[in-house]
Amino acid sequence: MNNAEILLTITGIMQEVLELPDLKVTLETSAADVDEWDSMTHIQIISAIEGKYRVRFALGELQALKNVGDMIGLIQKKLTK
Amino acid sequence: MLFNSYGFIFLFLPVALLGYFGLNHFKQITLGKMWLIAASLYFYSYWNIKNLPLLLTSILVNYVIGQYLQKDISWKKNLFRFGLVFNVGLLFFFKYAGLIGFAKIALPLGISFFTLQQIGFLVDAYEGLTTEKSFLDYTVFVSFFPQLISGPIGHFQHLMPQIENPENKRFNIDQFSLGLFVFCLGLTKKVLISEAFASWAKPGFEAGATLDFLAAWKTSLSYTFQLYYDFSGYTDMAIGIGHMFNVKLPHNFNSPFRSKSVIEFWSRWHMTLSQFINTYVFTPLVRAMPKITFRNTMIATFLAMFIAGVWHGAGWTFVVYGAIHGAALVMNHIRKKKKKKFPGWLAWLLTFNFINVSFVIFRAHEMGDALRVLKGMLGFNGVVIPRIGIKSVGALKDFGFKVGSYLYPDDYFLIVMFIGVFWAIHKLHNTSELEKTFKPQTKVAMACGIAFVLCLFGMNRITEFIYFNF
Repeated sequence: MNNAEILLTITGIMQEVLELPDLKVTLETSAADVDEWDSMTHIQIISAIEGKYRVRFALGELQALKNVGDMIGLIQKKLTK
Repeated sequence: MLFNSYGFIFLFLPVALLGYFGLNHFKQITLGKMWLIAASLYFYSYWNIKNLPLLLTSILVNYVIGQYLQKDISWKKNLFRFGLVFNVGLLFFFKYAGLIGFAKIALPLGISFFTLQQIGFLVDAYEGLTTEKSFLDYTVFVSFFPQLISGPIGHFQHLMPQIENPENKRFNIDQFSLGLFVFCLGLTKKVLISEAFASWAKPGFEAGATLDFLAAWKTSLSYTFQLYYDFSGYTDMAIGIGHMFNVKLPHNFNSPFRSKSVIEFWSRWHMTLSQFINTYVFTPLVRAMPKITFRNTMIATFLAMFIAGVWHGAGWTFVVYGAIHGAALVMNHIRKKKKKKFPGWLAWLLTFNFINVSFVIFRAHEMGDALRVLKGMLGFNGVVIPRIGIKSVGALKDFGFKVGSYLYPDDYFLIVMFIGVFWAIHKLHNTSELEKTFKPQTKVAMACGIAFVLCLFGMNRITEFIYFNF
């Protein structure tokens, strides 16, 4: 699976969870850029990603995520394991 | 030993740096680490050497547990549970033993912080994120003196690679000057700003004081700024010392008083604690629930905030502090979900005042003292107007207004300081912004030098940091 496909999936998840159908998501997008993206919606996004890719993130890994690019990197790491 | 003491600045810190970089220069990497540990343990023992065995026991037990958690063993889950119980139990014993009838024991310095840092390590070890084998490295990680007493709460995976990096073992003049700059910033916050506000905040919280409207607001606002400049000053000094050792410690504050909601406030205030609570308390709580619904995440939000409140200590004030912040977060999330928004200025005003009121409760020794200050802020004890230009309040007398004494020079200083900080929190760059644009120029050096000398004069009466009590 390439990064562009994952980005597309994450964008869909974020648009749904954050209730922002027109949200544009790039690799650099972070919680600081989107007001709706806070600790509560973050856990929903993470959980949706975990369900979609059938992966489980460690707690310490979640804290290191700074933006969408980091998320994609982590998903890739989990998928190749 | 305090960062804001002559002994630390002129003796301990230079010797610690010299020894560390000296040993590393002669390729004595292991000795360099041992030096760092020795310096940190001396720094810790300076207050009370009786606490040292506790720190060492905590490090040793957690290291051993961590070693087994990194292995593939059948009893891993039980060992992990034991590790959590050991750490939380230790914290509980020293912080809350007084509550359940034991004689109150003096709180060992820094226990709340080094315990959290090690709980984080155990979870990471359990989940396979660490492969640390060296006892020496683990001890460096926990005991590293800039962050040992009051954080910032760090991660093994963040701190240790920086210490291991061969590049960072050489004295770096750029990092050192950045460190000096950030340290001076923190020292100024503590000695020149926080101490001034402390002198205005203290009398109002003492038992028996009756506060009129203006005196109560003076008390509460002074404490709010005292706390912020004390804790962010401490953190800046810690980060500055970190730079001198070529280690980047995480930031703890990002202009918290600019926040326009309580949710935003907690992403800007004591950030390493919020992140810790978010990662290791809130997330597991949500995951433990059968389904992620709005209601369930709100329950977890409230509980996590409540735990963050009582982590500060035993006492009803911290229970109430945690509970009102938890409730405020939940209300904030509900409004956000309904897409309701206040105008910007009103959002700021409400948030700031909520924080200010919550800090009154945080500061007070007992709820009674807090209520006394809050009553005064609501005008229950009348309003005393300073005698400037007016001699009588006329009909307002019936509403509790009175004319008091003239303003003293100290009062004018207070007014100037209030205007100054409200301007500063909105307009000035914060430490992490200043770090990014820092250049070692003559004018910066001059400003630092002047501030440093002023601080030296202010340091003849040394006061501890507020967060050393937690």
